[in-house]
Amino acid sequence: MTYLIELLISGLSMGAIYGLIAMGFAIIYKSTGLVNFAQGEITMIVAYVAWTIATHVSGNIVMVSLGAIAFACLFGLAIERVIIRPMIGEPIFSTIMVTIGIAVILRSSIIFVWDAVPHSLDVGVGRDVLVIGDARVRSGQLGVISLLLLAIAGFYAFFRWSRFGVAMRAVASDDRTAMLMGVSAARVQAVAWAASSVIAGIAGVMFAIIHELSPTMFVLGLKSFPATILGGLDSVLGSALGGFIMGAVENLAGGYISSGMKEVSGFVVIIVILMVRPFGLFGERRIERV
Amino acid sequence: MRSGYFKETIAQQIDLTDSAVVRIWLALLVVVLVVAPFLLNPFYLSLLTMMAITMIGALGLNILTGWTGLISLGHVGFMVLGAYAYAISTSTWKLDPLIGLLLAGLVPAFASIVVGIPSLRLTGLYLAITTLAFAFIINQLILEFDGLTQGARGIFVTRPTILGVSFKSDTAFALLCMALAALTLVATLNLRRSRVGRALVAIRDNDIAARVMGIDLTVYKLNAFITSSFIIGVSGALYGMFLSYVTVEGFPFLLSIEALAILIVGGIGTALGAVLGTIFIVLLPEFTSELFSLLGDETARTLSTGAHELKSMLYGVVIILFLRFQPHGLVGLWRDCKRLWVNWPLRF
Repeated sequence: MTYLIELLISGLSMGAIYGLIAMGFAIIYKSTGLVNFAQGEITMIVAYVAWTIATHVSGNIVMVSLGAIAFACLFGLAIERVIIRPMIGEPIFSTIMVTIGIAVILRSSIIFVWDAVPHSLDVGVGRDVLVIGDARVRSGQLGVISLLLLAIAGFYAFFRWSRFGVAMRAVASDDRTAMLMGVSAARVQAVAWAASSVIAGIAGVMFAIIHELSPTMFVLGLKSFPATILGGLDSVLGSALGGFIMGAVENLAGGYISSGMKEVSGFVVIIVILMVRPFGLFGERRIERV
Repeated sequence: MRSGYFKETIAQQIDLTDSAVVRIWLALLVVVLVVAPFLLNPFYLSLLTMMAITMIGALGLNILTGWTGLISLGHVGFMVLGAYAYAISTSTWKLDPLIGLLLAGLVPAFASIVVGIPSLRLTGLYLAITTLAFAFIINQLILEFDGLTQGARGIFVTRPTILGVSFKSDTAFALLCMALAALTLVATLNLRRSRVGRALVAIRDNDIAARVMGIDLTVYKLNAFITSSFIIGVSGALYGMFLSYVTVEGFPFLLSIEALAILIVGGIGTALGAVLGTIFIVLLPEFTSELFSLLGDETARTLSTGAHELKSMLYGVVIILFLRFQPHGLVGLWRDCKRLWVNWPLRF
């Protein structure tokens, strides 16, 4: 029983990281119809920047998180402005290929800017072990779960009540009509990129605090795909929940079947979802009109 | 002087070329390519072999991505499957190399059905995601079934003897690869001119219109996926022979990106583009390392430690730059040059 609970909690905390990254996917997909294949790489870069701040400037948790968020925001805006915006009007195929190009560049830039050795991001919190009942949990794991819950609540409120959130939903549902109503689609796209990289960046920093920092961290992006497909590519909150489910499934498969199954489980889930409910649990069913 | 292109029969329409000059140049090129392996030094010979192998893979992916318009990131997964199918059947089971090569195509083709059926019912985007996952999962499965695949240790592969002819020497192997590349090129060109090829392009250009004209989307997409996986698997087997050792590490994910970069640089949707793109991409790292060695020892040393990363970075940059500034790729450039040459001093 303790084993199950420990597996579940570490699965949920991993799932929270997937969920945050998956939300990033969904935000960009929802507002631009684009799957950003560079999401995992952005996650990694932000975590590395946080590590640089922690080792060279200040190890204070507030400084590190503010710095990382600011960087992620600017980074997302820069990518959107320099690379993605000129591709407006090109076929979606080209734009997706461009994000793959960005992914490859970012992935390999790590070894030139930083190095290939794993590091640990130590900001003084998140590593201490708490004992709840019989289960041993790291505080960072609980932290990331609550962060995801916070993000879910925040985004729900944002899309529901804020003026800009409504504008984003308008662009997502019909960009031409939204533009006729005076919504700036370009600004929505910029904000979507910034928001998505901030969330992905938070996930990256949390992952680095709980586990470690290494140039293979971009795999997180790949592993979050099942989460966002499960929740629905166009559903931000669904993706977050999908992350929880995927994390738990993955960890239980790894704990009870085999460690190989841990890697394969996400893929199996993708195939099952695509067969049964291709638009995800909470996604909008697409109706094709001619 | 030719004042325009007039085609009066269907045969002329689907003819690969109607110009005697092109035929003569092609014949010359074939002669040069057949003679070249006997004259080149080992380094250039290996580049030539590499080009032939990469070209087979690129042509295979071109069927799927270029003509049918579906993005696949699982290129390397099919390559590795093909390589293992060949390695296991010839080295472990001691089967005939010809059967090995056939299996190298059939096993990935079967895998493509498993991956393709759920994802092809949806839009192309889902195929990119599932194939991306597939590429990573297949490595995991190979490591998992170490009874058959010998896990991380890998399998030693010898170069084949087909129908009594030995391809052990580098020259003979280069000729084998080039012959297969030429065969693939002709086969894909013929596929393009058939009913199937036209159906695939119709799906890429407008899938709803294609459907209205009676093209079964799922069947044709699956056909394209199977055919392309078959060809990619064969190129994987050849790559395994080229490395003479098949391991998971021998097939990095970079190969998927490389294949897509080749198509984009060459010009998406043409066989000629795949050929030109292959030449460009295979030579790109060589050119860059030459260029950087001019900058001095310090840079050269940094680059040799991160050679793999530098290569992938170059692919990324090339992909973005071509998509941004020359979406039609090298083929587009070549067409522009030709038009300029024929019509000069007029613009059109």
